[in-house]
Amino acid sequence: MFCSIKNPTERRYVIRMWIMAALCVLFSLVAALVFRHSRPHGILSYLVAVLPALPIMGALIYTGVYLAEEKDEFQRNLLVQSLLGGTGGILAVTTAWGYMEDFARAPHLDLVWVYPLFWLFAGISYGLVRARYR
Amino acid sequence: MESKFSNSVNRRFHRRSLVVMVLYVLSLAVMSQAIDHLHPKGMALYLLALLPALPIVAAIVIIALYLSEQKDEFVRTLQIESMLWGVGATLTVTTIWGALEKFAHIRPMSLFLVYPLCCVFVFLARVVVKRRYR
Repeated sequence: MFCSIKNPTERRYVIRMWIMAALCVLFSLVAALVFRHSRPHGILSYLVAVLPALPIMGALIYTGVYLAEEKDEFQRNLLVQSLLGGTGGILAVTTAWGYMEDFARAPHLDLVWVYPLFWLFAGISYGLVRARYR
Repeated sequence: MESKFSNSVNRRFHRRSLVVMVLYVLSLAVMSQAIDHLHPKGMALYLLALLPALPIVAAIVIIALYLSEQKDEFVRTLQIESMLWGVGATLTVTTIWGALEKFAHIRPMSLFLVYPLCCVFVFLARVVVKRRYR
């Protein structure tokens, strides 16, 4: 699966991101199970709640590491533009939804959706930027 | 030292930002007055609530325009790097806060705070990145 990626920096990045995604799912399950069965309180509840956020922080750090390691300027530029597109998309959506929540009583969108939505927008952006360079 | 062209790009950026800021304050005032006095319901309420989000979306577009118009590569790199750090910090905070909201039941954070939070982080990142290049 990963052998088809010729660029070693990109391959490393993709592998790291998959590991972080798997850890995120695993930690989310652990946190949900702990809260369902033992109902922790105080500082312990905070620590367990933060657990699924750790791989996400790891993924962000690895994205930074990839940008620093990537020698192919075109590839780096492609990712940077996609990330900026993702940033614009997520900021526009959260602002619009936030106002609708506060003033029109729209249903609350959990903050945990901000990160996956960001990557969704970055993915769409990546497709658009790539198509532009073709 | 910034080039003459870069200064004109900066000037244009500041002028556009000022217009958007004025529009934002105006739309906020219009929205709150309309909700208080007209008591709209349904779709009209949603559209009114979306009104202040439009200048924010415009501000995001203005930043994208600034990045595409900016010919000074150093200034652009500085801005992009700060924005990437800023969005990384924002995603980290929103994910942690979201997890704490969901599992530890802390006070929910309004989604429209994501944009100002990101601006604060970008500003802080810019100070750090600028210092690194000195």
